[in-house]
Amino acid sequence: MTTAVSSSSSLSSRAKTWWTILRISLEERFVYRGDFALGTLMRFLPIITQVFLWGAIFAASGNNAIQGYTANAVVAYYMLTMISRAFSSMPGLCSGIALQVRDGEIKKYLIQPIDLLGFLLITRVAHKLCYYAIAIIPFTLVFYLCRGFFENGWPEATVLVAYGLALTMGFLLGFFIEASLGLVSFWFLEVTSLVFVYNLLNFFLSGHMFPLDLLPEWANQMVRLLPFQYLAYFPAAVFLGRIEQDELWFGLGVEACWLLAFVVLSRVMLNRGIHRYSGFGG
Amino acid sequence: MAGYRPSYSRVFLTFARNSLVRDMSFRTNFILQSISTVSWTIMNIGFYLIVFQYTDSIGEDTGWGRDEFFVFLATTWIINSLVQTFFMPNAQQFSELIRSGNLDFALLKPIDTQFVISFPRVDWAALSNLFMGLTLLGYSLFQLTTRETNPLILDWRAVLMYPFYIACGTVIMYSVMITLASTSVWLGRNQTLYNFWFYITNFSRYPMEIYKVGWGMALWVFFTFLIPVLLVVNIPARIMAKPLNTMETHYWQLAGYSIFATLICLTVSRRIFVRALKSYRSASS
Amino acid sequence: MPMALIELNNLQKTYRVYQKKEGLRASIKGLFKRKYKEVQAVRGIDLQVEQGEFVAFLGPNGAGKTTTLKLLSGVIHPTAGSATVMGHIPWRRENDYRRRFALVMGQKNQLWWDLPAQESFRLHQQIYGIEPDTFQHTLDELSDLLGLRELLSQPVRELSLGERMKMELTAALLHSPEVLFLDEPTIGLDVVAQHNIQQFLKYYQEKRKITILLTSHYMKDVAALCKRVVIIADGQIQYDGSLSGIIDETTNRKLVTLQFADPIDKMLLGSLKRFGHIVHHEAPRVKLGVTRDDVPAMLTAILDAYDIDDLIVEEPPLEEVIADVFARVSETSATQSELGLSRSNDTQVGEAE
Repeated sequence: MTTAVSSSSSLSSRAKTWWTILRISLEERFVYRGDFALGTLMRFLPIITQVFLWGAIFAASGNNAIQGYTANAVVAYYMLTMISRAFSSMPGLCSGIALQVRDGEIKKYLIQPIDLLGFLLITRVAHKLCYYAIAIIPFTLVFYLCRGFFENGWPEATVLVAYGLALTMGFLLGFFIEASLGLVSFWFLEVTSLVFVYNLLNFFLSGHMFPLDLLPEWANQMVRLLPFQYLAYFPAAVFLGRIEQDELWFGLGVEACWLLAFVVLSRVMLNRGIHRYSGFGG
Repeated sequence: MAGYRPSYSRVFLTFARNSLVRDMSFRTNFILQSISTVSWTIMNIGFYLIVFQYTDSIGEDTGWGRDEFFVFLATTWIINSLVQTFFMPNAQQFSELIRSGNLDFALLKPIDTQFVISFPRVDWAALSNLFMGLTLLGYSLFQLTTRETNPLILDWRAVLMYPFYIACGTVIMYSVMITLASTSVWLGRNQTLYNFWFYITNFSRYPMEIYKVGWGMALWVFFTFLIPVLLVVNIPARIMAKPLNTMETHYWQLAGYSIFATLICLTVSRRIFVRALKSYRSASS
Repeated sequence: MPMALIELNNLQKTYRVYQKKEGLRASIKGLFKRKYKEVQAVRGIDLQVEQGEFVAFLGPNGAGKTTTLKLLSGVIHPTAGSATVMGHIPWRRENDYRRRFALVMGQKNQLWWDLPAQESFRLHQQIYGIEPDTFQHTLDELSDLLGLRELLSQPVRELSLGERMKMELTAALLHSPEVLFLDEPTIGLDVVAQHNIQQFLKYYQEKRKITILLTSHYMKDVAALCKRVVIIADGQIQYDGSLSGIIDETTNRKLVTLQFADPIDKMLLGSLKRFGHIVHHEAPRVKLGVTRDDVPAMLTAILDAYDIDDLIVEEPPLEEVIADVFARVSETSATQSELGLSRSNDTQVGEAE
């Protein structure tokens, strides 16, 4: 009886803690929402050059479609990768962890009953929720103005569900990959360069720079074996209906495996890292 | 002593030297930065190699085939690297000086304030992009001059005009940058500076012909005459990549206008800079 | 009448502070229409400083001391009034003027953080166009005086706060300025470093006969260095004169310490109260605050009535007197603004652009 009571109360108090963390981060974020919305709108400016660049490429190629992409579809693709990135990019996560390790602030998590990864995930969710709450205005505006680029209109319901799943898992995958990178700082203090290399690879290999289908077959095969594609390409391709029904669920399955792998990896790294850290008596 | 003028070139050399000493004391950082710059350029080449698998040129009848476009790309990198080496760190520093109030010291010096703000830091690592640009330029020019059909014959006038227009382009970019940085006196924010810079200069990275379709004309006019970033790369790249004797009249006109635009940009940005200094409030501590 | 070396006439500086509003609509509106609040930092200062003077500016935080120094250095433009330093109008920022003065700020540094100080000094040599021989000679002299010789080749970031301040002073003096503005040069330093810098400034000023304006929170700096003190509070000059004069002019109190032969009881304390208020008592001594004019009468009465072992009559401590002056100023300005009499336009909201 007593144990049941104590465990339930600890659960509710824990939920309360999480809720407080979430609320404080939300409030912090909302202060600058005006700048934020305008900043987001500006982010779409490069899409304009993409429209004209691909217009010129298609005009000169003499083809209506390249690897199944029409000129409009390429632009639609770029716009969709903006959404993918809005979910999967984690600005400041890796360097934030590295900073906490260096400043010794990480000790807080050894003393207080808060799990570091859980705490970071919840603040990141808050961060993202705020971002979407504001960014939805410029995003809707731009997508409405550019609806002409989406030649096939809305995809069917099952595809939309899969798209939602792909985005959510993309968020989690992005989080756990960057968290793992940040935790490397337990062993090497200077991880900024690592982040830089990651961002560079990510930009190219995730399909943020161009649709991965345009790669030569061998390169395409190789890139598909990496987890990067789930951070930008995969959700966009799902929405555009470029992935067949059975391939769709298989792809989501593979994504889930990658996610699981990075959850386990970051968990192991955190435990080992803390062990190593307290071993030093730091 | 009265009427003494400091030697600007010697002060600049000391700036460059001090920056090098500083960069060298963070050697790992320097090397990593160079590597990442180089990998970025390689990724860029990769992207355009893929594009040119599906098309022979960028835009119909524009003459921007693969090797011509690579001259264009090389020109972009050369100008970008000059801006990033000499001006970017200083513009960012300038916003920071305004924010922290340390601009005071620059204002005390018996030397032109815009000079002492624009040049103190040289980011030597960003120069690696210049070498990448020059290499790509050399390679694509070799390809163009030795190809079997219709090889390019290098015109000595083009060879002379190219560096001149590179300089003009760099000055235009510098003017846009110092103007943007000056606005932090009024706006107080500096983190958006880089973004804004990126979004504006993004328009300069492609041949201007691609905008001359439909409502793109409006963009073309805006970025040619109002904020003339379209001239920055396009003029030198056109002069170098394609035969000079086939250069269309309107290109010659734009090339002439480009010199005028450079002077205007420099003057306007200087005015804005001076006005910004007048509004400077000098934050305490 | 010949002009003083530094001359300020009704100098004023008003800042417009942008009032940022939260919310999307407000920030979009803010792009076009902004609301400002006006803050008067300096409200009409008149001052003359002669060549060779060492003047201290005293005042609470935000009183306008630093703003005045910045106006005189030409870093900011005044809203109204005029000033000349060595015949130059500072905010014109002529090179001829800028070569003749220096500003040192305790809270900011101008040396390159990651480089040895001597590299920054060399840059100064070039910017100020100092002859190599003169430069070397000045640098040797300064670094000997301040004990910096071994530190010249160490990156600035590795120096202690005190050492860094000395380097900043060196940088400022390399071009042998005729006028030196010092803004809190000893802030945050330990007692030894503070003392070193005071000694150096005293020596240097006496030797070179340069003119120095100093702001500081440390009374010790002021007492050690300056004969003339200017108290600024609420953007205006409240006092201008000698250090000892502050006490004569702003307080009519003296402190009388009495040492009693007999034990002190409550009755004794009670009867002492008619002479003045008891500042402090710790047997066998009692410290009383007494109005200056009453001191002779009070002493006669006390010596008559009690058995006194020892007696000290002294001026109240400087810090206390000055704090009193500050407090009085802020009190009056507070009541004034409550009554709507304040000259400040603190609450006036204007719209522009």
